[in-house]
Formats: sequence, C-alpha cells, structure tokens
Amino acid sequence: MAVLSAIASQRASGAVGPTKNPFAYDVSHLQTTDPKLITYAEKSRWKATQPDAKRIAIGADDTLYVCAGNYLTAHQPSGEAKFEIAASEPTRCCAVAADGTIYLGLRDHIEVFNAKGQRQATWESAGKKAWLTGIAAGENEVFVTDAGGRVILRYDKSGKITRRIGEKNKERNVPGFIIPSPFFDVKLSRDGLLRVNNPGRHRMELYTVDGDFEGSWGVTGMGITKFCGCCNPINFALLPDGKHVTCEKGLPRVKIYSATGEFESVVAGVETFSENARACGPSDCTAGGLDVAVDSQGRIYILDIVTGIVRVMQRKT
Amino acid sequence: MLVLGAFSSYFPMNPKPTSEPTSRRDFLRSGARLAAMTGLGAFGGVLANRTQAEEWVWQIDPQKCVRCGNCATKCVLEQSAVKCVHAYAMCGYCNLCTGYFEPEPNALTTAAENQLCPTAAIKRTFVEDPYYEYSIDENLCIGCAKCVEGCNRFGNGSLFLQIRHDRCVHCNECAIARTCPTEAFRRVPAKQPYLLKTTHAH
Repeated sequence: MAVLSAIASQRASGAVGPTKNPFAYDVSHLQTTDPKLITYAEKSRWKATQPDAKRIAIGADDTLYVCAGNYLTAHQPSGEAKFEIAASEPTRCCAVAADGTIYLGLRDHIEVFNAKGQRQATWESAGKKAWLTGIAAGENEVFVTDAGGRVILRYDKSGKITRRIGEKNKERNVPGFIIPSPFFDVKLSRDGLLRVNNPGRHRMELYTVDGDFEGSWGVTGMGITKFCGCCNPINFALLPDGKHVTCEKGLPRVKIYSATGEFESVVAGVETFSENARACGPSDCTAGGLDVAVDSQGRIYILDIVTGIVRVMQRKT
Repeated sequence: MLVLGAFSSYFPMNPKPTSEPTSRRDFLRSGARLAAMTGLGAFGGVLANRTQAEEWVWQIDPQKCVRCGNCATKCVLEQSAVKCVHAYAMCGYCNLCTGYFEPEPNALTTAAENQLCPTAAIKRTFVEDPYYEYSIDENLCIGCAKCVEGCNRFGNGSLFLQIRHDRCVHCNECAIARTCPTEAFRRVPAKQPYLLKTTHAH
C-alpha cells in the first residue's frame, strides 16, 4: 500500500522538474562519524606524483612507496619524491623487506629491486588468472595475495612458489577466500602469523606461514564497528603494538581494531573522503577505496585512491 | 521533414515563369494532383514514422542512470515497463547483498523487515557457503531502482534498470525520458534493444 501511495502521490503532483525520490536509498546517517570515536588528527597531506595511485607501503627507514600508474615512487615522509621506478604495466602492490629490498607486484608477477631502485630479478608469472594485490616481505619468504586465484602464494627469496595458503579445504578447516572485488591484502605480524582480509566474509583471518587457519574476527554490517558492503575490509596495516588499521570502501573509513579484533576507534570517517564516497556511487563501488601504511612512530598514512592524496594521521594526545 | 524532402521537386525554390496564363482546368488538375500527392506524402510520412518506431526503441543507458525513482512513477503504464535486470556474470553472489538488504538489517534473513525492495521483488536463493543468488520477479518489480542504488553504492553494480520491451508501449515521446534528469533514456536500434552491463575489468 505504501508503494502504491508513493507512486500515486508522485503522479498526482504532475511535477516535471526534480522531485523527491520516494524510493531513495538513504545512508546519510552513516556518513557522519561520532567525533568522540575519532582518535587521530590529520597532520599533513600531499598528493602522489603519478596519477592512478593504488597502494602504499613503508620501508624500515620510513620511506613511503606509492604504486601509481606504471610507476613505483619512493617518497620522504613529507611527500618529497626520492626516486621512481618505471614498470612496463600498472603497478598493483609493493612491500619492502627489512634489508630494503623492494618487491613490486604487477598483474601476474613480482619484480625485485634493491633499496636504490635497481632491478634485481623478475619472477615468473603466477598464472593467467593471477591478479596480485598485496605483498608481505618476511626474512626468508615473501607472501603475495592473488585475488584472481583467491590464494596467498608463499615464495622463497629466489622467486619459487613453495606453498599455496588459504585455498578452501574442509579437512584442514580452511574456509577459503571470498574476493568479489580486487582488494586482497596480507601482512606478516610480529607474532609470526599472517594477517589477511577475507572481504567477502567481512572479516580478518589469521594463518600460520605453513597455511594452518588459526582464527578470524569481524562482523558484517554498516555500523561503525562492523564491515560494510559486499566486500570489506579492503586493505589494512598493523600498528607496532599489533593493533589493526582497516580500510573500507563504499563507506570509506579507516578504523582501529585491537590485536584480537575488538573495535577501538576511528582514524578518519566517511566525511574525510567525500570524493571517494561519491566515486562509488555512479557505476560501482570498486572505483573507490583506500590504503594505509604505518611508520615506525605509529603515524598512519592513508592513500585515497580516488584523489591520489596521502594523509598523514597522528594520534591525538 | 520526410514529406517535404520527398516532394521537394513539386515546390521549386525558383519556378520558371510561364509565358501563358494557366487555364482554370489546368489549375484544378494540378491542384488535384497536388492534393493527391500531399495526401500520399502525409501517408508516407506516417508510414515512415511507424517504420522508424519499429526500428528504434527507447532504452536506459545504465552508465548514465542515477536511480532517481522517476522510472517507477512517470511511466504511462500503471506498473512501469522499466524493470531491474541482473548481470549474473558480474554479481558477487554476496551473503550481504546491499541490493537485497536494508542498509542496517536486523539479520541476514529473508524476513520482510530486512528487505530493501518495497515490493519484495528480489528472490534470494542459497547456493553454497557463503554464496546466494538473487533473481528479479518482474511481475513485482516497479523499477524504483532502490536495489540498483544499493548494489552500485556498495557492490559491483550488477543490478541495473532496463525498459522491458514486452511491456513498453513505445510512446513516441516517452514520459519517463522527458523527466530523466541525466538523459539516460535514448533511442536504440530495435534489433539491439537492450544496453546490458558486462563483466568489468579490474
């Protein structure tokens, strides 16, 4: 009855110009954040030097690396560019090992550079369906998320795949990754476990480096404590104390969760990323998105992939 | 336009001056010929227009649609000819489908209070953990685009609106097109009457 009434009243009005949509999808109440929940403040911002920025990573010396277009650009924390690596195709993800070795992910393979940006190796393709989206560099291994294959690939330092982690396996109690859009990230925590987002299940999962599923956390929903939309969180970083910094798209927001997954606070809410939120609307939400990295002092760098702006966030005192 | 073009030779811009005056009989004869040709021309014009209506139909460009709700309320039909359609190849088969569920559902169940669609026109079917398939009941769909907005805003946009030509009465001047705020309505060849979404590249 309500539907018929809405249609009838619209027709009766006979209005030709813009009219109020009786079927509006209203999420406006979710686009503002309770100020009491926001524990970080923006200290500075700068824009990526190349267009189409996708991912960021931080080295041990706090050099910030930005994957944008066909380039990987190294920046000072202030944003000043240090050097640039040109690739033959769009750069998708990167990670920097403790010794400064840079692992750069292209669509289906990894390229390795030294700390000065000189090419050291090009690893073999991970397959035709491979779509590499995240890298974590350990002491002896490199872990790469393949959104196309829905698997974490464990490489040795020579570039050989030694294990496939996270493929659905009932006998090993591995639930499998659900990746509706190409956002699939991995980090190697100080406790030796892999943290990985499983966006289709709206949660974070923990794995041993040998592929044993250790647990998960995360709740589905639009509310600030939950993970919204079809597939979130999309990217994340780890704070020095083991807490998680998560990014969402659709409702672009960055939040802090404890090491065990309890919601703690907000770094930046939807209102901070208005262009990013708009970018999701017109065609599909994969057009938006954020990425984060944490430096040695616990400052959080947020990359807005729509505007290419990097925000440096510092905890409020 | 077509009539004038077809018979423009009967209306020369600079007719030759005739030396002899036109007789009454000639005048009537040419007048009758003109009237007959004008009538035929008008008939031809109607035919041409009808042919054109058969060859070109209205359709919604999903890339321009802003889900304003006009499709549900402005169509001349009691129940709009515009329906939600589903690009299954694009769909993520999500458990939390934002085209199906209210923004903050009580639970991810098919209970009416959790559903976004005002007419419950979307059917949710379990496939395997954690996948669900969503299909549109076009007899219930009113083309309001509420689900399309939810899917585009938080999903990958596999739900979108199209004019269903088995329902559309092919108005020459589409009542929805007149009010579409983004001119998403356009004429397309009747042989290819749908503007479908396809799988997108990441």
